[in-house]
Amino acid sequence: MEQSGYQMDTSDLDAVFAALADPTRRAILQRLSTGAATVQDIAQPFEISQPAISRHLKVLENAGLVTRAIDRQTRPATLTARPMKDAVAWLTEFRDHWDSRLNQLENLLTELQTKDSK
Amino acid sequence: MNTPQFIMTRHFDAPKELVWRTWTDADLVARWYGPGVETVIHEFNPTPGGLWLNEMRMDANSMNQRMEFTEVSPTDRLVMKMSNADADWNVIPSPMMENWPRVLLTTIDLEDTGDGTDLTLTWEPFEATDAELALFADAIPNLENGWGAGMDVIAEILAEF
Repeated sequence: MEQSGYQMDTSDLDAVFAALADPTRRAILQRLSTGAATVQDIAQPFEISQPAISRHLKVLENAGLVTRAIDRQTRPATLTARPMKDAVAWLTEFRDHWDSRLNQLENLLTELQTKDSK
Repeated sequence: MNTPQFIMTRHFDAPKELVWRTWTDADLVARWYGPGVETVIHEFNPTPGGLWLNEMRMDANSMNQRMEFTEVSPTDRLVMKMSNADADWNVIPSPMMENWPRVLLTTIDLEDTGDGTDLTLTWEPFEATDAELALFADAIPNLENGWGAGMDVIAEILAEF
């Protein structure tokens, strides 16, 4: 099989799911999808403290969903969408696994009944 | 931690007895399981303790699944332990995700609705590690209803890119 340029790290995917399962962190990602933001920027619309935002950012950073600038004191955060795409693709595939099987089962049942009634 | 579950229900315009047969007759199972790929059933014994050894042949390789039936109550309920398997039918972890539960207890419940049959499929980790339970619990609400509005948010975020 041809080696793809991007190798999915399975342990990272675990971290992505844990990161995405929290509503505050999803809201942070949503904010970042409109552009880079500092902790202060992100904290503004939330009723939670900047240290709490920093902790959430750390979780997102560890999951590879966010990168922080290291050259500036405010360390603005930027979204990295790739791991999220991988996680969503995995889940979609997983649901489709049963969806498509049950669709086939439905076709088979129709076929079997058409035969029976003939 | 409570065992997280993934539940999916489908209605079929077919009598319960027929739906039951499509899950317990190897020839019929081979016709719907593994859509789009050749499915070879190496063993199929729907009795408690019996095995269903399933091979899906892809282009270059094949994917083996090992199922062990634990409850067979015609025509109401079928329970099996599902796993990925190697070429010798030993249980192996998911090739995609290290902490995906190795064994998923899969329950098929059939209910006569008068105009057909409701099939409810329940998936839950079996004798899972804490890491497996945690991953499944993080992932499955998304499968069922998209983390409430969470999945929409993620779709929106991805659309920005």
